[in-house]
Amino acid sequence: MTTSADSFLGILAVLASGAVTALHVGAGAFGMALVLGFLLAVTVTFVKSRAIGLAVAAYIEWMRNVPALAHLFLLYFGLASLGLRFSPKTAAIIGLGMVGAAVLCDVFAAGLKAIHAGQREAALSVGLTPIQAMRFVLMPQMLRLTLPSLGNYASQLIKDTSIASAIAAPEVMFYARNLVTSTFQTTLIYVAAMVLYALMLLPISWFFARLEARLESTR
Amino acid sequence: MNEFFRSYGEHLDDWMPRLMDAARVTAELSAYGFALAFLLGCVLTVMVRSQWSALRYAAGAFVQSVRTVPLLALLLALYFGLPPLGITLSGFWAGTLGLGLHGAAYVAEILRGGLGSIHKGQREAALAVGLSPLQAFAHVTLPQAMRLMMPPLLNAYVALLKDSSLCALIATNELMLTARAISSESFLPLHIFLLVGLFYFAIAFPLSMVSRLLERRMARGRRTMGAT
Repeated sequence: MTTSADSFLGILAVLASGAVTALHVGAGAFGMALVLGFLLAVTVTFVKSRAIGLAVAAYIEWMRNVPALAHLFLLYFGLASLGLRFSPKTAAIIGLGMVGAAVLCDVFAAGLKAIHAGQREAALSVGLTPIQAMRFVLMPQMLRLTLPSLGNYASQLIKDTSIASAIAAPEVMFYARNLVTSTFQTTLIYVAAMVLYALMLLPISWFFARLEARLESTR
Repeated sequence: MNEFFRSYGEHLDDWMPRLMDAARVTAELSAYGFALAFLLGCVLTVMVRSQWSALRYAAGAFVQSVRTVPLLALLLALYFGLPPLGITLSGFWAGTLGLGLHGAAYVAEILRGGLGSIHKGQREAALAVGLSPLQAFAHVTLPQAMRLMMPPLLNAYVALLKDSSLCALIATNELMLTARAISSESFLPLHIFLLVGLFYFAIAFPLSMVSRLLERRMARGRRTMGAT
């Protein structure tokens, strides 16, 4: 990392390698949150067991009322003391993904609840299996309803990847802090970091806006 | 498992006073931060609703730019970026300022949404029966909007409380930094981070529950109104 990091572009180039990690962490956590959140939402919606409902609720409340930083420290430092060692990047993906699953579970559960019960009953009565009904009838409608929330979550998630610098994952803020201690171009470096986050967020909000517009037009 | 809890028994006497002190710092940090966020949020809302487009534009730009910057970047910039410009803030005050600026954008959105959802006929009716604009706002618009805004404002405080944990990275002796310090001297990271998680949970969970309860009560009111 011995670049000529005194120029704005030089700084941006160093931070950009952190942006790649941030996007990796963001994509991994988003995928995990999507899958786990969906499974949890289906569980709370269709499984009528009180014990399971309580367990899911406890998971969600713990994830939502404790700072993400605490989850990352638990995964990275806490589990290491039990002999379970994650790389900083993996710990960040799992931690942010687990928090995100709680957020998206609420989103998906609300989405499922918003669909008229007759949709599922009709699908079952024409002979679809429950899984087919979910895949071909409920899921498309739910995704369309929840797309704005998914977009917001994705943007928030990209910003939250900055927390991973606390467990030394080499993302944008990690490189920014390193650069500050080696070059003292403090103001310039933080401005560059903020510009970089804006550059990462723009395509995401553009993508979700496009997707929403497209789904709206096929309606 | 027993051994796991025995470690708590051995260390709790040493840890609890330090964590309680740290919890006080976290409480102060989040309280001052939220007070600042609320104040700035009100100013932003007044700007957004003003007749001058320059003010509206400035408020919009502020909200947008705060929403694209990660809080951690803002905190680090305030703590490390201001001293070269001649302004030095302690970690606590840089944290308060950062949490306040960041929270203001969210509070402003909540206030805008809450006030905007009150039908303008309410205000017009109040003015028509002779209330001054200020009276109409204070006695007619605000009380109704307040009902709508309470749950999201509580959620915003919970979010800010959790965000205050990031101040550990700018040398503020709040819960998270204290937990880090204890974990590096006791080598019991799992114990200490679970415990500190419980500290946050103990404050945040009741508030989240109250927020959800209020939300549900309001939803109930809405449904009966739709039915009649």
